[in-house]
Amino acid sequence: MNKTDDLYYIEAVRKGNVQAFSYLVEKYQKLVYTLALKLLKKPEEAEEMAQDTFIKAYQKLDSYEGKSKFSTWLYSITYNACISELRKRRIEFKSLDDRQISDQDEQKMHDYYRETRKEDQEKYLNLALEKLPEDDQVLVTLYYYENQSMDEISMISGLTVSNVKIKIHRARKKMYEFLHEMLKEEVYSLL
Amino acid sequence: MNLKDMNKLDKQFEEMMKGIRIDSPSSDFTLKVMSRVQAEAAVQKHHLLEDYKPVISKRTWIILIAAFVILMIYITVSGKETTVAPNSGFWSTISGSLDQLKVKEASSVWQKGMGLFSSVPTIAYLILTASLALWTLDSYFTHRHHASKIQVN
Repeated sequence: MNKTDDLYYIEAVRKGNVQAFSYLVEKYQKLVYTLALKLLKKPEEAEEMAQDTFIKAYQKLDSYEGKSKFSTWLYSITYNACISELRKRRIEFKSLDDRQISDQDEQKMHDYYRETRKEDQEKYLNLALEKLPEDDQVLVTLYYYENQSMDEISMISGLTVSNVKIKIHRARKKMYEFLHEMLKEEVYSLL
Repeated sequence: MNLKDMNKLDKQFEEMMKGIRIDSPSSDFTLKVMSRVQAEAAVQKHHLLEDYKPVISKRTWIILIAAFVILMIYITVSGKETTVAPNSGFWSTISGSLDQLKVKEASSVWQKGMGLFSSVPTIAYLILTASLALWTLDSYFTHRHHASKIQVN
């Protein structure tokens, strides 16, 4: 076990070195905050939730058995805490409608997207992501950005693996659809 | 569309998604979390100290003392029955010593006292010494526990 391993720091914290926990906070704060922000929307609430997540993780550190990655365990705390908070407020996620672009259109859309400027790509990508339902934003971020596996996302979200697969597939198609709409609007505005 | 094309689309999308914005919390986020963690650690330590129990409980002490007293009584009583020597029993020796105090020299009392101690078997002294050692250690650790409790507070 070397100093880049999460387990090294987890063991240090368990042995009483509280300061070692700051390494884990530094390493995961951005993604924990991002996930909370995608679900809760308000930055101040997301920050509060991210802090609470780390405190809960510290309190429950002895129960972390190392069967999954520490990040998976941490994101599941974040996800569940945000979902319970949203349930308290009786907020339900909007669902994706069934109208979706075909796989061929998806490929065309991707090629068209690659031709746009780098800054525009990032802008439209983030806008398209924000248009997805909150829980789908989290799944897509975890899968495509954080490289968490379907099984790990299933552990984090409590959804079945097949459900995760379907949701991610549909979310990807929907994002291409949003991108298509946005880029089409841009072309019209230029004409 | 076949699986190969599906995987290609997935890979393309993954590359594209590397461009999404990852938000950052406030610059003093780590500091805020760590101050809460430190406070939490202090509370956990405090609970641990509160859960501390002496190595030897009060009940055990009572049993130990009672056992020692019973042993002493047994030794002196059995000693009185089996020994013909006038100074062999504990209580008779004490009463006898008190009577003799009035009429005999102090050296005689000393001899009686020594006679009493010599009638107690070595095992009883060992038990007494061990108990005293345990009591001393227990008092020492309890004292340290209270001292650290004050530091935490």
